[in-house]
Amino acid sequence: MKWSVDLKGTLSPLSIITAFWLKPNTIAYPAVKKETAKGYRGFHTNFLADCIGCANCQDVCMNDAIDMIKTDKEYNSKNTSQCIPRIDYGRCCWCSLCTDVCPPNSLKLEDDYLNVTKHASDFLYMPKDKE
Amino acid sequence: MFNEIKQRFATDDVEVKRNDLYKVRIKYSRLFELMHMLRDEYDYKTLNAITCTDWIEEGHFALTYMLTTEDRKYTFMIQTMINREDAQAKTLSHEYKQAQIMERDLHEMYGIDFPGNENLKELSLESWVHTPPLRREFDTLEFVTNHLIFREGREDNVDTKAETKRLRAEKKAQKSKDEEVKDGK
Amino acid sequence: MENKHITIFHGPQHPGITGNMSIELDLIGETIQKATTHVGYLHRGFEKLIERRTVIQAFTIVCRICVPEPDPNEANFAMAVEELAGLEVTPRAQYIRVMVLELSRLAAQFLWMAGQSGSIGLYAVGQWAIADRDLILDLFEELTGARVYHMYIYPGGVRRDLPEGFLERVTTLLIYMKKRLKDYDDIFINNASFKNRAVGVGIISKEEAVANGYVGQVLRGCGIKADVRKDAPYLVYNELEFEVPTQTTGDVYARALVRRAEMDQSLHILDQVVRKMPEGKVMIKIPTHRKFKLPKDDTWVKVESARGEFAYYMAGDGSEKIRRMQVRGPSLVHAYTLLEDLLIGAELSDVALIMNSLGICPPEIER
Repeated sequence: MKWSVDLKGTLSPLSIITAFWLKPNTIAYPAVKKETAKGYRGFHTNFLADCIGCANCQDVCMNDAIDMIKTDKEYNSKNTSQCIPRIDYGRCCWCSLCTDVCPPNSLKLEDDYLNVTKHASDFLYMPKDKE
Repeated sequence: MFNEIKQRFATDDVEVKRNDLYKVRIKYSRLFELMHMLRDEYDYKTLNAITCTDWIEEGHFALTYMLTTEDRKYTFMIQTMINREDAQAKTLSHEYKQAQIMERDLHEMYGIDFPGNENLKELSLESWVHTPPLRREFDTLEFVTNHLIFREGREDNVDTKAETKRLRAEKKAQKSKDEEVKDGK
Repeated sequence: MENKHITIFHGPQHPGITGNMSIELDLIGETIQKATTHVGYLHRGFEKLIERRTVIQAFTIVCRICVPEPDPNEANFAMAVEELAGLEVTPRAQYIRVMVLELSRLAAQFLWMAGQSGSIGLYAVGQWAIADRDLILDLFEELTGARVYHMYIYPGGVRRDLPEGFLERVTTLLIYMKKRLKDYDDIFINNASFKNRAVGVGIISKEEAVANGYVGQVLRGCGIKADVRKDAPYLVYNELEFEVPTQTTGDVYARALVRRAEMDQSLHILDQVVRKMPEGKVMIKIPTHRKFKLPKDDTWVKVESARGEFAYYMAGDGSEKIRRMQVRGPSLVHAYTLLEDLLIGAELSDVALIMNSLGICPPEIER
């Protein structure tokens, strides 16, 4: 291979030395937590006072991730089937189509996205009851 | 161009889909003649893709060849029907180098044979012995049910429509019962 | 000592490979005699799955076809569905789409920069590039609610309107990027060690590039001005002003220069989009997912991704399901026809270099 002196090409990369005085781009994770943006698609929440148990979410879910189940939780009077959704997070892809089709807009996605567990069966996730 | 195609190939099936996209449907026997004409006389030099659609009801595969001009501005879709059973099409790999891999892909997914193509080995499905997966008769759900395990603990799913019906009937029965009791009093 | 003929596998577990694929190399000494590409490590059957789903349901899966840049897939899918169903998207939605596509191109180019510099051992560039890509992902997170798989460009428009103050944040990022890209010139593009490695390696001739259907930087690197945004303008690209950078030598360095110039063009386009962003609705009314039916017709749509022309073939059959959707990305032809060709006679140490410059993405070969 022919070698020719490329002075600019040899010296200009040395400008990387100035990067020593730059602030780091990373954050010290457990101490400083990254703030998720508003409207982040994290875990599901379901406001039971609004949920009508229509199973639209189950119908639109292409991954078959949603089960409509009976629980001992209190359901509201408009909930005709007395069932509420439970989501299999082994299948969910967080596309949020279920929240788009929810007629009373009770099913939503929150900004929490951490679920650390020892058991795979914990993937069956009951949405938190909050507005 | 369209007139010439219509005259020479005795077809009326020429469509202008967009201002840069044309489509013609043609018999398989005249397919290569048309492709050569487009390439030699109208600058459609590049074979961009070969796609296949399975029309199981009508019993054929629709092979679509996308030809583009040298400057990549215009695309010609040439569609031809081949028989679904023992599907076969002449290879283009000697004229267009890239056709080799596209045909290999279609061979794997649909089981179409391309005589003359030297390498039709499996592409991504290693040791696949079932029906070629993109044929319509291959049922994904059935295959998955037979070969994979589903997550346990999801059996308590309730059919909400049936449940709503049942609850309504129950309510109604309760109501009439209540009324009966009331009337009895 | 006599050189022996040996066969080695480059990948799938190899930092110099652009994803889950491997190349089988027949070597004599350090020189490659024959290269065979192998894929099959992540076939997920998307094209089959899409046939089983309704149109709206299928929309969530297409972004997973290419990991580094999911948005061209979403745009293609939405455009194909709109063309078949005869929907017209509002101007604001079109501008937002262009913005998302250009941001995604920029992010993908940063990812390429990380890979390309990593392939010759300049790891600092990779660290920087990933950090700067993250700034774009932050914007995506705010706009779409997810960092990588956005699922944002929807048949009929886009799913959310811009958050408050979003355009200002894009402008801030653009100003930062314009300054920042000069640093990359200094430490990477003009770097003598990169030039010495890349100039004259992996040369593709113009005739071959045209005839064999190569796309993107491979084509532009050998002097052909081909860009879907100019040749067949989609969305609002005909209202925007930009250039198609080309080089003539057709080697790895030419492709790097083209990519670098495209990053500038992306910034230029984004600048105009921010200034021209019209007001209005972002979504038109579309039928619900059980009633969204496509006529029995087919179409072929394409967008310019960061690695070249990305096209979809879509056929409807009158039902609510898509009959057939075929992906034609740049990778299938590049990874087989082109790469197997280019590697013959190359040095073993250049494999990663050449591969990265072609923009091969295995998820899109296997769909």
